[in-house]
Amino acid sequence: MIQHLIVLPIVLPLVVGIILLRGRGGATRPKRIIGVTATVLLVAISIALVAQAASGEVTYYALGDWQPPFGIVMVLDRLSALMVLLTSLLALGCVVFACGGDDEQGSNFHGLFQWQLMGINGAFLTGDLFNLFVFFEVLLLASYALLMHGGGKARIQAGLHYVVLNLAGSALFLIAVGVLYGATGTLNMADMAQRLASLPAERAGLVSAGGLMLLVVFGLKAAILPLYFWLPKAYAAAPAPVAALFAIMTKVGIYAILRVYHLVFGDQAGALAALDQPWVWWLALGTLVMATLGVLSARDLRLLVAYLVLISVGTLLAGIGMRSEAATAALLFYLPHTTLVTGGLFLLAELIGKQRGKAGTRIVKGRPLYNASLLGVLFLLGGAAVAGLPPLSGAIGKALLMQAASAEQQLWLWPLLLLAGLGSLVALSRAGSTFFWRSHEGEPSGQPLAKRQLFGVTWLLAAAPLLVVLAGPVSDYAQATAEQLGEPAVHIRALLPETTDGDEA
Amino acid sequence: MILPWIPLLALLGVVVPLLTRQRGRRFCSLATAAPAILALLLVFSQVPALLAGDLPRFQLAWVPQLGLDLAFRLDGLSLLFVSLILGIGLLILLYAHYYLEAHEPFARFYSFLMLFMLSMVGIVMADNLLLLWLFWELTSLSSFLLIGFWSHWTDARKGARMALTVTGAGGLALLAGLLLLGDMAGSFDLGVVLESREAILADPRYPLMLVLVLLGAFTKSAQFPFHFWLPHAMAAPTPVSAYLHSATMVKAGIFLMARLHPAIAGSEAWELIVTLTGMATLLYGAWFALLKTDLKAILAFSTVSHLGLITVLLGIGSPLAILAALFHILNHATFKAALFMSAGIIDHETGTRELGRLGGLRRAMPVTALLTSLTAAAMAGVPLFNGFLSKEMFFAEAAASPLLGGLSWLLPVLATLGGILSVAYSLRLVHAVFFKPARKAPPKSPHEPPRLMRAPVELLAALCVLVGLLPVIAEVPLGLAVEAVLLTPLEFHLAIWHGLNLPLLMSVIALIAGVLLYALHAHLRQFGRQFSPMDARLIFEGAVQRLMTWSERLTVRLENGSLQRYMSWLLGAALLLGAIGLLQLPSLAGARPTQEADGILLLGAALMIFGALGTVATHRYRLISLLMLSVVGLVVSLTFARFSAPDLALTQLSVEVVTMILLMLALFFLPQKTPRESSAGRNIRDLGLAASLGMVVASLNYAVLTRDNHGISDFFIANSVPGGGGHNVVNVILVDFRGFDTLGEITVLALAGLAIFKLLNRLRLFMPHSDGEGRVWSPDRYPLILTSVSQALLPLALLVSAFIFLRGHNLPGGGFIAGLITAVALILVYMARGVEWTQQRLDFQYQPVAIAGVAIATLTGLGSWLFGRPFLTSAFGHFHIPAIGDIELATAMLFDLGVYLAVVGATLMILANLGKLTTPHRPSKEEKH
Amino acid sequence: MLDTALWISLTLVLAALALNVYRLTVGPDMPDRLLALDTMYVNSIALIVLLGLWLNTKTYFEAALLIAMLGFISTVAVCKYLLRGDIIE
Repeated sequence: MIQHLIVLPIVLPLVVGIILLRGRGGATRPKRIIGVTATVLLVAISIALVAQAASGEVTYYALGDWQPPFGIVMVLDRLSALMVLLTSLLALGCVVFACGGDDEQGSNFHGLFQWQLMGINGAFLTGDLFNLFVFFEVLLLASYALLMHGGGKARIQAGLHYVVLNLAGSALFLIAVGVLYGATGTLNMADMAQRLASLPAERAGLVSAGGLMLLVVFGLKAAILPLYFWLPKAYAAAPAPVAALFAIMTKVGIYAILRVYHLVFGDQAGALAALDQPWVWWLALGTLVMATLGVLSARDLRLLVAYLVLISVGTLLAGIGMRSEAATAALLFYLPHTTLVTGGLFLLAELIGKQRGKAGTRIVKGRPLYNASLLGVLFLLGGAAVAGLPPLSGAIGKALLMQAASAEQQLWLWPLLLLAGLGSLVALSRAGSTFFWRSHEGEPSGQPLAKRQLFGVTWLLAAAPLLVVLAGPVSDYAQATAEQLGEPAVHIRALLPETTDGDEA
Repeated sequence: MILPWIPLLALLGVVVPLLTRQRGRRFCSLATAAPAILALLLVFSQVPALLAGDLPRFQLAWVPQLGLDLAFRLDGLSLLFVSLILGIGLLILLYAHYYLEAHEPFARFYSFLMLFMLSMVGIVMADNLLLLWLFWELTSLSSFLLIGFWSHWTDARKGARMALTVTGAGGLALLAGLLLLGDMAGSFDLGVVLESREAILADPRYPLMLVLVLLGAFTKSAQFPFHFWLPHAMAAPTPVSAYLHSATMVKAGIFLMARLHPAIAGSEAWELIVTLTGMATLLYGAWFALLKTDLKAILAFSTVSHLGLITVLLGIGSPLAILAALFHILNHATFKAALFMSAGIIDHETGTRELGRLGGLRRAMPVTALLTSLTAAAMAGVPLFNGFLSKEMFFAEAAASPLLGGLSWLLPVLATLGGILSVAYSLRLVHAVFFKPARKAPPKSPHEPPRLMRAPVELLAALCVLVGLLPVIAEVPLGLAVEAVLLTPLEFHLAIWHGLNLPLLMSVIALIAGVLLYALHAHLRQFGRQFSPMDARLIFEGAVQRLMTWSERLTVRLENGSLQRYMSWLLGAALLLGAIGLLQLPSLAGARPTQEADGILLLGAALMIFGALGTVATHRYRLISLLMLSVVGLVVSLTFARFSAPDLALTQLSVEVVTMILLMLALFFLPQKTPRESSAGRNIRDLGLAASLGMVVASLNYAVLTRDNHGISDFFIANSVPGGGGHNVVNVILVDFRGFDTLGEITVLALAGLAIFKLLNRLRLFMPHSDGEGRVWSPDRYPLILTSVSQALLPLALLVSAFIFLRGHNLPGGGFIAGLITAVALILVYMARGVEWTQQRLDFQYQPVAIAGVAIATLTGLGSWLFGRPFLTSAFGHFHIPAIGDIELATAMLFDLGVYLAVVGATLMILANLGKLTTPHRPSKEEKH
Repeated sequence: MLDTALWISLTLVLAALALNVYRLTVGPDMPDRLLALDTMYVNSIALIVLLGLWLNTKTYFEAALLIAMLGFISTVAVCKYLLRGDIIE
């Protein structure tokens, strides 16, 4: 089994999904057991993957035994291992939370959830551009189905926007991949990177057209400035465990940008290197501004958290836009923090909304909460972490990013990042004081919290303090990952030893 | 190794009250005090080492990338502050034990209080700038919780949010400032930073850094114009006001200025900004302290004023000024904490803090009256009290400062003015509460508080007098603290009598004029009333509210919920970026020669373009538009055929049919008339966008097709037969070389089926009873000819799909096309016979079929693991089967079978479920058996 | 001889296709348009077979087979829609 480790994060959810989806009916309990067990296994597998990747070696798995550049490969390096681990940790919190009752709101929840994981993990692991497209499709369709889970008008409308825009994005993805394949003759990213080094100058325009169109697609997934408009409503409408899992979806876009523009358009690509940088940098700053305004404008906790996701997108993209090793390391520290904490906040919003009767998650005076102290502590924890207040993980992540900025970049990044933090602080303190301090007279009448749901929330929000305690090792890993990303040559040599040796000889 | 235990013990104090709350308040209070007492003892245990000239430090690497270490130090400055924090903290705890009502959640209160204590201890002991910042922000957070403790009260909530926002914002500025500072000094280690003064002052970013750091300090220490949050923080319970908002937290900004003094002070900018801000704060606070009528508000503004005084001294920055600043910090903490606690006692025992309802309390509360008078005298700077000493030093330094050049006389004058005001408001405080007869009786009849509740006040008042009479006892701690700020020891002597000199004269003027001013106080209040009252909270809340409304308006404007708008952004972005690439292309056409066009191609192209334009032009007549779309689809398949891509042609043809059925199914539920929705302007925008994007994509296409590409495709052609065992390269790519893509895509297909099923679940749509022109539907549900044809076609279609499937590996065909054919044939039966009839004969669910397809494909892939090969490794071989002969079997065919089943299952899931929407067999959450 | 016949028939089939599209465009009624589309499918079969003859290959014939078998199903769907609105009931 050990030699198949790299492909397991895809095959395991695929198989489990098949088992769960084979019939629509059946009791909920066995499905829950299977779903949770599989996710726990996935966590174990991803820990093993991180352990393997931590050695610094880039390893790959050739599907169908067709060696690169001809076949499809799954590539394990520090970055992909980190992303897979993050996905599985987030997923575990979500799936346990869903077992508290959300999974019964519609059909096939657990199976779809597993296939969603398959799509996400595949996107993180694949070393092939077209295969990336395939996994984008898998995760798009699975997420669309999950978004519809439980039904309702808001979900159907938000889901329509989501799916139409993303299908258009898929079409653009195909066009872009077609152009890149036409210009370079390959789909394997490492091979493409290598071919760009010796690309005839006459084709550079074609490659940059393909590369930039790809950026539009990734930007749509990551929710960058003019392409994020669909996100807040869709995330706010999604069922809580799904919205929480969606916290990783924008990061798929971030990951893709990081991967493609560091590997394919890495330093070896000459004039085409860092094709994305100016666009990503400025649009990231714009995203940060608009997301901050969104946070301030939100009148509903779910919407507020959705805009917080957007702030994290802006922050991460700004980290990419800085294009330096230190910035990449910083954003890789910030990424797990923001993913887990915003995910946890989505779950928490659901718990709060459930105990407030009609007021739900709207930020208005409502019934007193049944578990006010417990939920209040969790809200404080998550809110402080996401706003970047110490002593939680957000503060360290932001400080790392700010420190990584060069002098000119500081001029833009610092004020915007700090104002985003302040905006979140204002909005969250308003929301928190309304939910926990400002309530109607009378006895709380909600239901006590379900243990599973509480576990899900705590599991995710525990990241905030844990990432601080473990800040040393985590930032070491992030630093090593950034170094590895900065050396595409090593990556290429690991995948294509023969051709690179030939070049040197 | 003792140092980290001090904050750790404070951290323990956070947890203890929560764990011991069940055992009664007395136990809980004692248990909470224990770690703090222990921490205080630990601090004192370090004094000998300090006196011997050592600097106890502790360091543990935390986040090296950031330069953040878990590092603590205990120099003289830390010692002074940490003793203050722990000592007063303990007194406050004792006081709070009596202050809180029985029903209030005391354990939570203690826990918050200890959290605050922890963060303050952290600030003053941090030996790393970033660590200092971490604790700094933690004080904002804990003060938020403490101010909002009486959360049912609007003032408390709003005051808490305002304090958090202002100090939080300052903290963010401080972070930026400290990052710059660390960058200039090359390290965040405090020891290094304090010794890098030259490098820091010479750095061009120095002014920016200074402003940012001072913003942090000023907001925290409530300096003008950021002072406004402090009076509103008085909504907190009195122990909190006494502890946070007079003795400690507001001193954090002052502490920061003192801490960083060796590194960043001494420049002209520092002196000007800090001194003038401090002076403005001093006067502003004192003036309002005189006008306010709420006991706590008076104390709050006087705190603001005294913080200004200390800031002025730090701005002046001479060694003696620093000494005076530190001395006044100590003195202010003692008398102001005592005054707050007295105010709390008065509030507690009388039920009001309004001066108008208080008065003549000296009879009911003689001891409290005495204590308050003593501490107020210290605040006023009356000789023989500690406040006198530091205030006189302040006068001396103000007089001696060369700041402002020719206008340097201003400082002593303003300082004296501040002194006058402070005498006046102190006098007013004591006189109005205890001596002047009350105009209106207080809500509760007053009496003395419990003995132990008064104990902290007594202790502090005693300290005020003791230090005032015997200033020598303060010399040792102050000497250590001054040394820590100046980095060199300072020879000094504290004395009550310095002879007849200017500062003494200023003190005398302040005392006499202060008494006079109080006498004229009524007129002053008249004067003050002429100005319209400016409630900082209303302004602040209004600003926040406006910001929120404004951002909401902007957000709604941008995210207006129009899919067309979002789409045009997406397409516009693709257009722009694609065009940028194309512009860099030296010539559109590459080196590869183009094929000559013949009449068939030209006509085909013309038909396709016509069909596409027709689809758009007739979009309001949906059926015609769809027919036009079919023309396009048909010509596309013919084009595939013409250019030797038979697999594609077959696929396109079958997809075309499926699409058509799907659209006809959906059309039924749509409104029958399409209104004219787009304005001319929008039509032009859309036309422009579509045309430009079309041109860009066409150009890209042309550029790619006219260039040779020596890619991986040669490998596929060469290895199709030897490696994949099939002559049809397209099929071998699909099921073998890139079988993993196909596996993914059939998963997508199954997912699409599941997603549509989920969408249709519970969906109830309007069903029209007549067509667009109002004609009622024909009564003939199942036309006879159609039923006969469909039944005849079914076996034929199944045969064809078996044929197409089997030949797929070597000739055009394969599981995908075969699956579509089967699905279409089955749908035809549905159309011809209806759901009821078909359901009876085809009694199975489609979801298991689709999933079985994915399962077979996956199992084929997993099978290779048994042979120790990677996932999806194929195998093939020639087998001899009796009666049939030699036959080639490949695992890829099994995989293709999976594809076939997935396609059949998914297509039927989509089409049949959509069709069933109008029947009793509509999709529902529960499975029907 | 075969070439000439091929060219003549190709020209005629192409002309027929163009005329189909003309009928599809002008109507006047829905059934007219529908029949035009159906005829287009039939003519496409002819076109594909002629192409196969011209280029001397058999690979196209499956496409012709498929059009013959499936082409009319879209027509059926539209007819059913015109008659009953609901095509699967």
